Amino acid sequence: MNSINNTEFLANLIETTYNVSKTEIIDQYQMSFEVNKEDVHNILTRLKSEGWIQLSYLSAIDWLEDGEFELVYIVFNWEKPVYVQIRTRLPRENASINTILPIYPGSKYYEREAHEYFGIHFPGNPDYEKPLIMEGWDDMPPLRKDFDPEAYSDAHFPKRALKEPFEVLKGNESIQVKEATRLERIKNVITGGKK
Amino acid sequence: MRQLKLFLGPQHPGMHGNASIHLFVEGDVIKKSYLLPGMLHRGFEKGMERHTWVNNISLIPRVCVVEPDINEMCFAMGVEKLAGIDVPERAHWIRMIVLELARISIHMMAYGGLGGPTGNYTLMYHAHADRNTILNIFEKISGHRVYHQYIVPGGVRKDLPVGIEKDIHAFLDDLESRYTEYRDLGIESPSIRARIDNNIMLPEHVVWELGVTGVGMRSAVGKAYDIRKVMPYARYDQVDFNVPVGTYSDATCRVDIKLQEVVQSIGIIRQCLEKMPEGPVRVPFGKGQSMRWTVPKGHVYSVVESSRGEFGYYMVSDGGTYPYRVGVRGASYPQGLLGIEKYMPGTRIDDAALWVDTMGVCSPEIDR
Repeated sequence: MNSINNTEFLANLIETTYNVSKTEIIDQYQMSFEVNKEDVHNILTRLKSEGWIQLSYLSAIDWLEDGEFELVYIVFNWEKPVYVQIRTRLPRENASINTILPIYPGSKYYEREAHEYFGIHFPGNPDYEKPLIMEGWDDMPPLRKDFDPEAYSDAHFPKRALKEPFEVLKGNESIQVKEATRLERIKNVITGGKK
Repeated sequence: MRQLKLFLGPQHPGMHGNASIHLFVEGDVIKKSYLLPGMLHRGFEKGMERHTWVNNISLIPRVCVVEPDINEMCFAMGVEKLAGIDVPERAHWIRMIVLELARISIHMMAYGGLGGPTGNYTLMYHAHADRNTILNIFEKISGHRVYHQYIVPGGVRKDLPVGIEKDIHAFLDDLESRYTEYRDLGIESPSIRARIDNNIMLPEHVVWELGVTGVGMRSAVGKAYDIRKVMPYARYDQVDFNVPVGTYSDATCRVDIKLQEVVQSIGIIRQCLEKMPEGPVRVPFGKGQSMRWTVPKGHVYSVVESSRGEFGYYMVSDGGTYPYRVGVRGASYPQGLLGIEKYMPGTRIDDAALWVDTMGVCSPEIDR
């Protein structure tokens, strides 16, 4: 079976049974489906039974203007090589979706990371609320679009003080200063630093 | 028996990268273990959202320290897919040469790393000397030794320097002539074989449970599940190479497959140097001033076969000058986190470093 048939097969498999709001064929090895939150687990179970047994990636995107998170699951089948993106939208307030741990056990740490970076809850996953990478983090989840790293850095760390104040010179003035420093350097070389 | 807590890493000769493994041991058997990542967290995914598409070229190689080229390739392929541009023919072949040289260098480093925990440092010095030769070649090609920033969206940054073919051929001939010596030093050496034979198993059901890819998967499943074969990128469909596989995945099998892959990579580079056409090497993916280049809207998952398995970038563009979201799927994510938690218990303390080395765990790409 070639890969063009694979995308047709997948489109048939998912569009006929589930409510798909958008299907996109990115190239011959990749396609994406935008689905409802309720259908995610059924679709993943179905895909797994059809041979998409590897969970490649799980993460989220923060669409701040829409007030929604977009959760993406990417699964892969080594016999029919097509990457399938299953994408679903969650409201930004108290975002929560049941874990897919019983379907793909490898999702454990991906979900934990998604909780740490975006604050999405995954009930059913035993450890998802433990911090993984950022020990002692005390602010909002950092990959949200309304988190500003510069503001965080200003609030938590002292500004590095410059040793000498400086001002930006313009045009002729900067050339004169450069020339003066150059002459001084030459003078220093000649005199060996003595005045 | 009393349970003790031990730390493997971040300062340990057998630990690769800045991560720590917490071991709970009874006697010298590990009863419970978990990885503590985060010591090398540099916020790359957030950082990429705050840099333009072109700026990011200098940021992405740093995601995986020892093998930067796959990151560049992933990013470049993703941007090309989103922007819908075709790469010049010569650039594809140059990319393959760079990627395969990188594969040899990282396999050499991993194979040499076997010498640390087994007390056979000669192997490590030999392997690092050869890696150094590859870094010299990279320096001539790109001007940088480790972070090359050479594979850019739209092709490669500049053409190969004149006469580099001679250097590459000389290196490949030299490495091939010493291949048996390498085997004798490492995998055929009785002192190392005593440690890796029938040890640190990775059965097939564990592969599918964790989602391990790359050498670990191919050594257990026995099928040529390699992205270069299954869904070829660049011009891997036009070169002739085998994918070494195994069905009994102990540490010996995995190390053996790495060595066989080095031989295959040598063959691929020779074919590339032979088949490479002349021509341009780069097309711009935008118009006007490069800091204002935009990429069309879309979601794409671009993926390459790294030395440790499937390495992917999930990239989202909203049509602006900045990426909206870039997610990195590190190849060692499954075995590095869940693998250590679930399947490291039961091995002995002295095998823990071997476990990390032969499974191919790279902590920078877990932290990001």
